Amino acid sequence: MNAPDRYERFVVPEGMKKVAYERDMKIMNAATFTVQREDHTVGNVIRMQLHRDPSVLFAGYKLPHPLQYKMVVKIQTTSQSSPMQAYNLAITDLTKELDHLKAAFEQEMAQKQADYY
Amino acid sequence: MENVSYQRFPTVRIRDMKDDVMKFELRDTDASVANALRRIMIAEVPTLAIDLVEIETNSSVLNDEFLAHRLGLIPLISDRAMEMRLSRDCDACDGDGRCDFCSIEFHLNVKCTSEQTLDVTSHDLQSSDPDVVPVDSAGRQADVSGFDPPEHRGILIVKLRKGQELKLRAIARKGIGKDHAKWSPAATVTFQYEPDIHINETLMESLSLDEKREWVESSPTKVFELDPISQQVVVVDPEAYTYDEEVIKKAEAMGKPGLVEIYSKEDSFIFTVESTGAIKASQMFINAIEILKSKLDAVRLAFDTEEADDQFGELGAHMRGGGM
Repeated sequence: MNAPDRYERFVVPEGMKKVAYERDMKIMNAATFTVQREDHTVGNVIRMQLHRDPSVLFAGYKLPHPLQYKMVVKIQTTSQSSPMQAYNLAITDLTKELDHLKAAFEQEMAQKQADYY
Repeated sequence: MENVSYQRFPTVRIRDMKDDVMKFELRDTDASVANALRRIMIAEVPTLAIDLVEIETNSSVLNDEFLAHRLGLIPLISDRAMEMRLSRDCDACDGDGRCDFCSIEFHLNVKCTSEQTLDVTSHDLQSSDPDVVPVDSAGRQADVSGFDPPEHRGILIVKLRKGQELKLRAIARKGIGKDHAKWSPAATVTFQYEPDIHINETLMESLSLDEKREWVESSPTKVFELDPISQQVVVVDPEAYTYDEEVIKKAEAMGKPGLVEIYSKEDSFIFTVESTGAIKASQMFINAIEILKSKLDAVRLAFDTEEADDQFGELGAHMRGGGM
């Protein structure tokens, strides 16, 4: 009776921003990003990539409640960088990694076909 | 401008590739990426499935919504799914199913006229698009003898008695597994960590040949082998190890703890991808990579986020060498 529609899990409603960010008032160089309608699939990937950045002091993500379809990423960096830069860099690096993976996979597939024939 | 990159360079080695099952190794990447791809293959790779059913006549023993549910679960060949639009995003139509961009129409029209029970199967579904047909009816030769073996008869929808009729129109739309499991293209997608096995050579030397043979045979799967020529214990198939620790227990029982150390490599995964037939297994993986890329792109911050924020904007400008 009160159940929300299934598509609420991944459709961002009109007027809502996909990503919103808030600077942390008490801690220097820290920010919280609220991503709507995403889950562990994207959250864990971004968090682990942020851990690889040496200028990131703290990176974590959580889903505040399983019935609220949003994800929160908290990042704190050194003064060398900023949370936004770290976030965007993580995403850029992940995109490059996935491009590399796709090319490697397609190459391997082509080779398999060639071996077959 | 930043030109550092903390990118990884994953490698792939395909072990076995068939149309619907694929086994491959993914190395030099993180578990989060492997898991994200697994989750996307199960829940977010789009396929086509029947979503709207208009029933004209139904005198079968199953009620209308029961039939509609069963029709939805029939897997359809979904190679077109990635290019198609989602029905709610389509502005070319009003959702009644006559739009080529977002929907495919199916007709089912059967009546049982013989004394024998008529099996209504997925083969009886007639599609408006010859490329989008139920899985395993494509490539079916015209039957001459009148008797099909079970694997070729198609997916059973309902059985009709003499006089019962079923006439309906169904519309298939694009969707993802997250919305309803009928749209999931994956049968199973699993991955395991590759084991890393180290034999302590000095301890191994202290074993007699018989003890070595006994130890090698204590493993339920063939992981180790005793090389007859050099009389050394070698690892012949590390992935056959099922983390059952029998060899470790045997080593302890023989009084040689620490004879072998087995860990799982943190960046090496062995994937097994099995598809329902809607999409080829290899195509499913490629689609999953594309979808993960587009999700990451959607989650990126807008360009002006940094300039709009005073504290970080100045710092950014300073880092960039006084702004360009």
